Amino acid sequence: MNISFRTDAKFCSYLSCSKIFIAILVAVLLSLPNLVSAQDSTAAAGGAAAAPAGGGDAAKGEALFKNNCAQCHSPTDERVVGPGLKGASSRHDFAWLTKWVRNSQAVIASGDPYAVKIYNEYSKAQMTSFPNLSDDDIKGIFAYIDKASTAAPAAAAPAGGGGAAASGDSKGEGPSDLFMIVLVALVVVMLLVLGVLVVIVTLLSKAVSGETTDAAKPDFMTSLGNSLKRISADPAIRSATMWIFVLLVLKATLDGAYSVGVQQGYAPKQPISFSHKLHAGEYKIDCNYCHTGVNRGKSAHIPSANICMNCHGVIKKESPEIQKIYTSIENNQPIEWVRVHNLPDLAYFNHAQHVNVGGLECQNCHGEVEKMEVIQQRSSLTMGWCIDCHRKTEVNTKDNKYYDKLVQLHAGESKEALKVADIGGLECSKCHY
Amino acid sequence: MKFKSLNRYLIVAAIILTTVSSCKKDPSNPGKEYAPNMYLPVGYEPYKQEKANPINPMGLTMRLPVAGTVARRNYKTSFGESDSAQVDLMVYNIPADSISVSERVLKNPLPVNEQVTAEGKVLYDRYCEHCHGATGAGDGKVGAMYKGVPNYASDAYKNLNEGHIFHVITYGKARMWPHGSQINPEERWKIVRYVQKLQKGA
Repeated sequence: MNISFRTDAKFCSYLSCSKIFIAILVAVLLSLPNLVSAQDSTAAAGGAAAAPAGGGDAAKGEALFKNNCAQCHSPTDERVVGPGLKGASSRHDFAWLTKWVRNSQAVIASGDPYAVKIYNEYSKAQMTSFPNLSDDDIKGIFAYIDKASTAAPAAAAPAGGGGAAASGDSKGEGPSDLFMIVLVALVVVMLLVLGVLVVIVTLLSKAVSGETTDAAKPDFMTSLGNSLKRISADPAIRSATMWIFVLLVLKATLDGAYSVGVQQGYAPKQPISFSHKLHAGEYKIDCNYCHTGVNRGKSAHIPSANICMNCHGVIKKESPEIQKIYTSIENNQPIEWVRVHNLPDLAYFNHAQHVNVGGLECQNCHGEVEKMEVIQQRSSLTMGWCIDCHRKTEVNTKDNKYYDKLVQLHAGESKEALKVADIGGLECSKCHY
Repeated sequence: MKFKSLNRYLIVAAIILTTVSSCKKDPSNPGKEYAPNMYLPVGYEPYKQEKANPINPMGLTMRLPVAGTVARRNYKTSFGESDSAQVDLMVYNIPADSISVSERVLKNPLPVNEQVTAEGKVLYDRYCEHCHGATGAGDGKVGAMYKGVPNYASDAYKNLNEGHIFHVITYGKARMWPHGSQINPEERWKIVRYVQKLQKGA
């Protein structure tokens, strides 16, 4: 690899005789001069001599790498967006690397076979050009890469060991909980067995000792039966019990009747098992990113597939749930999400008014969506629920001239702060028309 | 006698009502509705459809606008407020593959002031922060997973001009996908202001 690329590069023009060139090249590789910027030496020396004379400053290189390169490249051979850079400095000479870093498109356009190959291999993703990096900067970056790529396995080993030890510890803790539960269960079972044994033993001892104790027992039982009969025969007590029972059932029935049309707790299964817990909770994606209509109009919007594709065009493509989105896009078939929050047609509601003007958080009405695996209707969405909030919520009148006169008028009549109810929040025609 | 039979009827009624009302609620069942014809919309509503539409493809009520048409309310050509408002049509007329044209031609029509930058920050936090990070270093929570999110303040990015940033938000670039459908041009210009602040390493 080394040699073929060296001969491909412009060195041919300087050195016409290829034999001499190869000989020199071998000498170069053996003597590790400044030209190859000492990366091979660091690789050979295991990172001990990170920045020898002529090589880059690895410390400075590290800062540059983290700032400019780390987003797409790893100093190991791990593929991130672009290829892993481990050993890049031994694959290419410094002049080639410099040209590539400063303007990779020019190298590709010049027809360099390796450049074209890697460009095609990474699905023609253009690397950002860095024309401002000086030779020293680039040397430093590659010095850092060599240092990091050789240091990484050494650093990883103890970390892995530590991880194993830690997981061992946690394993030691994990079963202990289970062990405690099993232990408690065993104790309970043993107590039950003991109880049964005691009963058997007493029964047996009674049977053995004769029927002396039996005489008292029927007495007690019959007296109990008699008293119960007396109580149940009393018509007053009888009807009282019945009425209490009937009233309780009536209350339950009324409650049930009031829940007609209330869908609180509704959590239907969706065609794609999208998790708000993951997206909004773990990755902290703002609600507005997908529900773009929430501060613009009546509906918060169910995101269309192109918004999913903003991320999933690139990541998690292999997941079967995300494959469903691809299928729907390919077939031009809409995804039939099941609507969870259904307000009856007889009531008008506008998201923008509540989010923009009212300054409400989504969670006020929708609950802790960022913790829901499956979306669920948390609020009742009944009229009483709306009105209750309109009665309690104070209007934010601060720095808003629109409210100045209203606040003045209101202050004359009442000592309480201006509530939504005071500015027409209870008018029938606000929502029903 | 009468009292006794009343009691009996009550008990029977109670038992029937108990069995009816004690049905356990299934989370995927929205429950009963009283007079559903007052609940379901008569007219066509977005995101609410009970029956398949017999005319439209795939039974949908919602349809895409005719190709090439622009909804007027989404076609805002005047940017900024009152006195400082500017008319700009170029934002709609540069094709996706012409980022160099955007760099040369597009100028931010919004006034330079704190308010615009502050509004830009709000929008940035909504639409960009989870990838690009709070300081634009590419260290957002999604960015860490997504990979390849650049640092605005790095040498290759800190000098990109406003036309370039606007174009990238609209049409995407490299691994970033287009966000023009989510963010309207005025909002994009506000975000551009804030991104320019982050480019300086704010």
